[in-house]
Amino acid sequence: MEKLITLIFSPIAFAIGFLTPLIAQVCLAMAWIDHPPIAYSLGFIIAIGFGLMAQFRGSWLWLKS
Amino acid sequence: MAEVIKTSELTAADWDAMTDAELDVMERRIAGKYMHMVPWGAVAWGLGNCLVWIALWPLVFVGYLPLWLGFIIATLNVALSYLPSHEAQHNIIAGEGKPLRWLNELVGHVSTIPLVYPYRMLRYTHYEHHKHTNDPDRDPDFNVHANSDWHFLGKSILNRQPESARSDAYPETLKRTGNGHMILDGVIYQAIYLVILFTLAWTGHAIEAALLWWLPKHIAITYIEYYLSWAPHHPGDEKGRYRDTRAFKSYWGNILSMGMQYHIIHHLYPRIPLSKTPAAYREMKPILERKGCELGTLEH
Repeated sequence: MEKLITLIFSPIAFAIGFLTPLIAQVCLAMAWIDHPPIAYSLGFIIAIGFGLMAQFRGSWLWLKS
Repeated sequence: MAEVIKTSELTAADWDAMTDAELDVMERRIAGKYMHMVPWGAVAWGLGNCLVWIALWPLVFVGYLPLWLGFIIATLNVALSYLPSHEAQHNIIAGEGKPLRWLNELVGHVSTIPLVYPYRMLRYTHYEHHKHTNDPDRDPDFNVHANSDWHFLGKSILNRQPESARSDAYPETLKRTGNGHMILDGVIYQAIYLVILFTLAWTGHAIEAALLWWLPKHIAITYIEYYLSWAPHHPGDEKGRYRDTRAFKSYWGNILSMGMQYHIIHHLYPRIPLSKTPAAYREMKPILERKGCELGTLEH
């Protein structure tokens, strides 16, 4: 249970669970990309990049307090 | 001192002639006039605001409301969600054992749902903020302190990063005060929030989820922290009943600053409802001046 909670709260989970589809759906809605598989792939690449930074550096923005 | 004294009739010389103890008596007497009343406006605000925010979802999903308008309303809803709970945290609606206690607790729990903060966690950490205002080790809101408005904004954003000390401030406070079990409330709230966000996002509603909840929540947290934590306690380097909180004149007026210009009254008498703090301030101002409070340019 603890592992599940840790997983849900992790930046990687947020990147995959929310940012990936958000970026993809924005790209599709703005007609920047026409094909959903490409939009979701691009969303995943961008989101996972930020997610990994947040996961291992502790900040989504690189900068830390 | 005589019961019949009307503060509005007292001159500066009258106030100057009072001893410190007499000022204390007058202060308590003025405060007493504004306490022990049910703030029905805050009750309606807390419950109504949450209902409006919930109603936005079906209205946007079925197309009755454009998403851009839903975003604006949702941002207002989330920004307005904290203060009714704050009234409940201080038992202003009804104290323990009172007939309307259930309503106090209902408002406390319901109003902060859009903000994704559990009532019990907010209540007990907020009590510590009152007890230890501006104490770097024991004030759970201390890490909101900043040198200027822009510094606050930058710090507020950095405070939300995964490894920020701000993330641990409330859980650590709860542990220190023997209320560690309430951390679970926060875990449950956050888990439900994330599961809902993820589900909406992967069922094709990521933009709606972002604009009705995720982004409004971030904007609202910045706004709430600015007016409730930073501005009334800036510069935040003094402790003590009359020096840890200040009155200030907001560029945006009293409503847009959520009544926080008079936050000093709240710290002196937390049971005075938010709507009554301006009147209490006006009446108490001569005393606050003589007690050495920082009142800025807030005249009325």
